[in-house]
Amino acid sequence: MKKYLVLPLVLVMAIVASCTKKQVTNEKVLNVSVPQKVKGMDPIFASDRYSNNEVAKIYEGLLEYHYLKRPYTLVPNLAQDLPKVSDDGLTYTFTIRQGVFFHNDAAFTGGTGRELVAEDFVYSLKRLADPKLQGLGWWLIDGKIMGLNEWREKYANADKVSYDEKIEGIQALDKYTLQFKLTKPFPQFLYALAMPFTFAVAKEVVEHYGPEFINHPVGTGPFVLPKFEQTNRIVYTKNPTFRKKTFPCEASEEFKAEGLTADCGKQLPLLDKIVVEILIEDQPRWLNFLKGNIDYVGVPKDNFSSAIPDSKNLSEDLKKNGVGLLISPSLDVTYTAFNHDLDLFKNVKLRRALSLAYDVSQSNKLFYNDTALPAQSVVPPGIAGYMESYKNPYRSYGEAENIEKAKKLLAEAGYPDGKGLPEITYDCPAGTVSRQVGEFFKKQMEQIGVNTKVVQNSWPELQNKINKRSVMMYGIAWGADYPDAENFLQLLYGPNKAPGANGSGYNNPEFNSLFVKAAIMQDSPERTALYEKLNRIAAEEVPWIYGVHRQSFVLKHAWLKNYIATDFDAGQEQFLNIDVEKKAELSKKL
Amino acid sequence: MSTVVKSKSLWKHAFEQLVSDRMALMSLLIVIIYSLVAVLSATGLLAGNWADEMGPSYAAPSGEFLFGLDIFGRSVLAKTIKGTEVAMSVGLVTALISAVIGIVLGAVAGYFGGKVDEFVVWFYTTFTSIPSIMLLIAITFIMGKGLVAVYLALGLTSWVSLCRLIRGEVIRHKDREYVHAATAIGGNDFRKLFKHILPNVLHIVIINFSLTFQTAIKSEVILSYLGLGVQGRPSWGTMIDDAKLELARGVWWQLAAATLAMFVVVLAFNILGDALRDSLDPKLKGK
Repeated sequence: MKKYLVLPLVLVMAIVASCTKKQVTNEKVLNVSVPQKVKGMDPIFASDRYSNNEVAKIYEGLLEYHYLKRPYTLVPNLAQDLPKVSDDGLTYTFTIRQGVFFHNDAAFTGGTGRELVAEDFVYSLKRLADPKLQGLGWWLIDGKIMGLNEWREKYANADKVSYDEKIEGIQALDKYTLQFKLTKPFPQFLYALAMPFTFAVAKEVVEHYGPEFINHPVGTGPFVLPKFEQTNRIVYTKNPTFRKKTFPCEASEEFKAEGLTADCGKQLPLLDKIVVEILIEDQPRWLNFLKGNIDYVGVPKDNFSSAIPDSKNLSEDLKKNGVGLLISPSLDVTYTAFNHDLDLFKNVKLRRALSLAYDVSQSNKLFYNDTALPAQSVVPPGIAGYMESYKNPYRSYGEAENIEKAKKLLAEAGYPDGKGLPEITYDCPAGTVSRQVGEFFKKQMEQIGVNTKVVQNSWPELQNKINKRSVMMYGIAWGADYPDAENFLQLLYGPNKAPGANGSGYNNPEFNSLFVKAAIMQDSPERTALYEKLNRIAAEEVPWIYGVHRQSFVLKHAWLKNYIATDFDAGQEQFLNIDVEKKAELSKKL
Repeated sequence: MSTVVKSKSLWKHAFEQLVSDRMALMSLLIVIIYSLVAVLSATGLLAGNWADEMGPSYAAPSGEFLFGLDIFGRSVLAKTIKGTEVAMSVGLVTALISAVIGIVLGAVAGYFGGKVDEFVVWFYTTFTSIPSIMLLIAITFIMGKGLVAVYLALGLTSWVSLCRLIRGEVIRHKDREYVHAATAIGGNDFRKLFKHILPNVLHIVIINFSLTFQTAIKSEVILSYLGLGVQGRPSWGTMIDDAKLELARGVWWQLAAATLAMFVVVLAFNILGDALRDSLDPKLKGK
């Protein structure tokens, strides 16, 4: 007789539980949405924007960008100060901040996180170089740190990599002193130390979880995630043992004027919780934003004209609800890359023909509401190396004569009217807009008789295909890791070939040797001239079909505080704040 | 005086009944029109220029552009027609595949019984326990995306109901006198099964065929909507997928055209299927 009582009881309990849950709390929750699946939470594999941003919530590096300063300025994060640099510019000595603890985790003895020491960075950088792991950020420090390449090569064919072996270039001089010795000048070195690839992981945790480490992030950062699962929702909570780190009081004038220093001196992070929702499609993201379920959102192309009717100001409807608009040019470039491993695409005339067949102004109109800047080459405006008046000769704006030129080039390449060409596959991420971009590409290529096929992949799948070189052409974008043209030009540097950042595998000896020269130069007019020369080669050799440099249009709700547009948004969440009362008040209206 | 009334065959009888039902006749006509459109589009006589840019992006329906234009300025009407080709071909091929598998397995199981029967029943029971949408997605992942994958995926997932029906009918028929008579004059199993029993259960196949046809059309739309269907050519599913974004700008015509096209043909097939059942199923005779 007792058996069937269980069911009503459970039901009652469930009802009670759901009632209590609905009570308004003062918990500060940030709700964000990302448009693609996240690969995982291991810093050395965080090669794309989406995993980058997730990794940076948990892990930290020696340096970071000052949140409220423009131009972008590096400030110490896990380091106590900026490093002491030797006169020859090759030795960097850091003092590690004391009293920084890893998150509590079962991997540590007693379950409490231990203090971060200089040795952790030695370990983390070796891990990035580990030949067995094939970290995706190796290109960043390849050939630049004394002894590291030798160490990598020594263990390339060994069964086990020895982390105990001392390397001259990265040494922990004592518990809190870390020294780097470089093989040659590397002006971007400090930027590299602000990138998630070089963030600190703990040896115990890596060894404890083994291959599952990618799903068990344990860092020193402001937020905690006990386990990462490939679901559509990631929930982070505030790190209760986070060190003393406060909201910056200094700011550039523009940010001071906007009152962004209101939280000055407050302990970080300001949020209690972050909920990251993976929404691949634009419409659900947009509707969730309008309902107040997401705190900020990039404006989808199809909602652009109703949200921002004159391309500058918000519509009255949105303004009324306290929504704010942030417009800023992004340091990025979109492109369609050729896989240069294929003999087919070694033919420069073919590449030029395809580039000329692609109407960039039409694509700007259809996909960016005519707000982007057609790219002439790889370097975006805003950094030295960009040439304002330069026009790529193989760039088409839909002119009929360019189609004729493309056809002529195609014939010269040995494929008159596309005859003799195989079907070219075009790989792109999942989602309706990506498919439309693919269809547009297909349509453009059809004009000159080139037959293409659009293949959609999940984001991790696409990355994997590019790294394995099993693509023909693919559409993707690159956002700056640091404000230096070198970060864009290295995308075409032969030795950076995938799994490095050069996914297309372009390899041009002339370009390579000029790049090597420029890469070791400090900022100077000579370096800018060299960058420009490289940029010009990158335009005329058409290693990719260039797309555009985008402008970002972000809408945010009034209750979201301290949100600013930045090109380096990894780690941004610790500075964000939610005005809970305002949210309660405004949400009623939505 | 007595006139000799020639007895009508089942088929002639059924046809007369079908023709006398005006709804059914209309539906038949619609299905024929759709088939014709599909054939004409496949041969390139109709909507061969669907990929061409006819005018500005998202031009609204007007006298010039009957159903308006899509994002790339392509005619929505032409895309709908081209989509008809995909839908009808998917319906036909899927129904054929499922009919062949269903008939062969069902007939063999029903006729031979015993271990064979047990195996087939076990097989389709296991098979149906897998959610069909999961199976569809799994098959398209293995086969790669494209029209052939859609044919196979849908064909391989829709034969079970027919197989069940055929098996049941064959079990009923195999002990009938006409089958014993066939045995007596020395007919072998193959002959008895396919020459004698099968024609007597064929009406089930026909009814099932028309129902599978329309289910396949709907499934193709769903698959294409999910991005797993046909690639690089218009399908009603991808049109609806596009439309979910465009609706935000007030572009409703692509959704309307694709849904209308699908609605009409699916409704027609449903009515036709019902009418076929009414006229072919002997159990419903005279009701």
